[in-house]
Amino acid sequence: MSAPGGKVTTKDRVFWGAGIVIVVVYALIPVLWLVSLSLTPADDLGSGGFWPENPTWDNYFGEEDPAKGVVNDDQFPSALKNSLGIAFIATLLSVVLATFAAYAIVRLDFPGKALVMSGALAIAMFPQVSIIGPLFNMWRDLHLFDTWPGLIIPYMTFTLPLAIWTLSAFFREIPWDLDKAARIDGATPFQAFRKIIAPLAAPGMFTSAILVFIFAWNDFLFATSLTSTNKARTVPAAITFFTGSSQFTFPTGQIAAASVVVTIPIIVMVLIFQRRIVSGLTSGAVKG
Amino acid sequence: MAEIVLDKVSKQYGDGFAAVKEADFTIHDGEFFILVGPSGCGKSTLLNVIVGLEDITSGEMRVDGERVNDVDPKDRNMAMVFQSYAIYPHMTVRQNMEFPLKLRKVPADEMKEKVEEAARMLELTEHLDRKPGNLSGGQRQRVAMGRAIVREPAAFLMDEPLSNLDAKLRVQMRTTISKLQQRLGTTTIYVTHDQVEALTLGDRVAVMRRGEVQQVDSPRMLYTHPANLFVAGFIGSPAMNLLPGTLDGHQLSLPMVDLDLPAPVTDRLESGAGGEVIAGIRPENFEDAELVGDREAPGATFTAHVDVIEWLGSEMFAHFEVEGSAADSLTDLAADLEKVAIGVSGEGKAEVVARLDVRSEAREQADHELWVDARAIHLFDPDSGRSLLASPDTEAKISEAPALTKD
Repeated sequence: MSAPGGKVTTKDRVFWGAGIVIVVVYALIPVLWLVSLSLTPADDLGSGGFWPENPTWDNYFGEEDPAKGVVNDDQFPSALKNSLGIAFIATLLSVVLATFAAYAIVRLDFPGKALVMSGALAIAMFPQVSIIGPLFNMWRDLHLFDTWPGLIIPYMTFTLPLAIWTLSAFFREIPWDLDKAARIDGATPFQAFRKIIAPLAAPGMFTSAILVFIFAWNDFLFATSLTSTNKARTVPAAITFFTGSSQFTFPTGQIAAASVVVTIPIIVMVLIFQRRIVSGLTSGAVKG
Repeated sequence: MAEIVLDKVSKQYGDGFAAVKEADFTIHDGEFFILVGPSGCGKSTLLNVIVGLEDITSGEMRVDGERVNDVDPKDRNMAMVFQSYAIYPHMTVRQNMEFPLKLRKVPADEMKEKVEEAARMLELTEHLDRKPGNLSGGQRQRVAMGRAIVREPAAFLMDEPLSNLDAKLRVQMRTTISKLQQRLGTTTIYVTHDQVEALTLGDRVAVMRRGEVQQVDSPRMLYTHPANLFVAGFIGSPAMNLLPGTLDGHQLSLPMVDLDLPAPVTDRLESGAGGEVIAGIRPENFEDAELVGDREAPGATFTAHVDVIEWLGSEMFAHFEVEGSAADSLTDLAADLEKVAIGVSGEGKAEVVARLDVRSEAREQADHELWVDARAIHLFDPDSGRSLLASPDTEAKISEAPALTKD
């Protein structure tokens, strides 16, 4: 936490400690508020306190009225299933394709290399909302509307650039001598890639996987425009279809509860992969 | 075990740069063969061509008589040790050494045996289950060697394997490699920019410059009979002194002294040689005039103003300047040799290094009588840079040596 070789003084500790506390509190307050809301009974919502006075699991499991719990909502379980399936498949495809693309871009010399990279960047900067209309019409003609592939394809497309850029940065760090050594040791180009290069690029793959997964998981725009039923509707879209206990109550509690539920997989994902994102995995390959 | 024949092998890159120009030599079975030259001379490219990582643009390469131009590197059965070691960092030492065997589907017990034998040979047994990240430079280097040895390949290729080690370890590993090669008897091609490594390790050495092979010969022949100015300047440390001279019959006029060349030199002289020449004198062919043992030996005595004395205990170097420099016609060559060979010191002067007996009483900033041995003189054509002296056993070679391009 201090300059290399320098001593960690009390001043340093106070400065960094206070900084960390501020950032963590700032980031966590909305989450805590969401949790608090999800535990508040519908009647207490107007009370104004940060912590619920009579905490209840009602919004999650519907202890009083089973129909009120998000878990028992007829569309929530299928939305959760759609979200998980679509996000995982989109992540897998995106990372696999990006790995091949990035490896080729870093290792091979082919015409149009710069074009591929800048093209990918252009797609990443493209405003997604502008293609929703055409995509809606196209997907209906192609019978992709309200299907899993109908969402997986745009998610993959919009996350590929990011994944390609991230992964090519990682591949660039891997000494090319390792490829050559593997080839001479008797590996085919694909074996060299699979047994030597891919394991070394694993931190890069996990980094891109997290980013892609979060994008697909959190997306609302495509999910709400390109789906119409429980067949493919994901959680962010499904939440908007929640109904209150009566025509005149807004389902704040349920929305909060659903939001907490969908946050859990993301936290689990990040915690799992965070441990895999270790820098310095390549140390010892070459002199250093 | 393999004999590797390079038949006018050239490598040209897409942008037209010719990295290797018509390399044409044979590496005999079991030979320790060195490719040496300054950086950028194409020696590493040539090694990559031999192992198959780079395509051959023209020419043919044969291993044991079979053309291998289009054989994939994985099927050439050659093992390579990289300058960077290129050890797989995510595998333990054992897994690193097993890797080439696994790809060949060698049975597990045989694999274990081979790896452990190689580890014993390289003193790596206790490190077998460690990751390369925790090993020292020398140990990593040995892992890279071990990975090459276990395969029992047709040839070992080494790309500057010692250049990342510190000086002491380098000398130690040099001996290790030499012993290992003798013990295994495997054809070895070794790339280095260090002429000391080349001379000490090699059975034969190919000296390269700008993609062209200058001379292929034993270390002794390279030293005593360099085919051209480049080889003369590159091989030997301190480098050969190169001075402008005029040759008239057997009379050689040097800036500091006139020499009467003895018969053993004039006999080897190319017919019709005369006029402007560049004379090469190795530092050890000078001596303190008072300490010359054989007073009858052909040579000449002259007075030199000694600038600097380097006293090393077992030997002593005296630096002095002479009028007239060969550097003007050799600037191109000087760049390649990193100005080591041709001492350029001011206008029209050449710096000369003489190796003297330590008993010499030469002092800095004082005149001293020196003697030069006329028998050991080298003569070169100033235009082409070729040696004007035929080497005793292979007369043909001289005219074949490439002229030094001046651009």
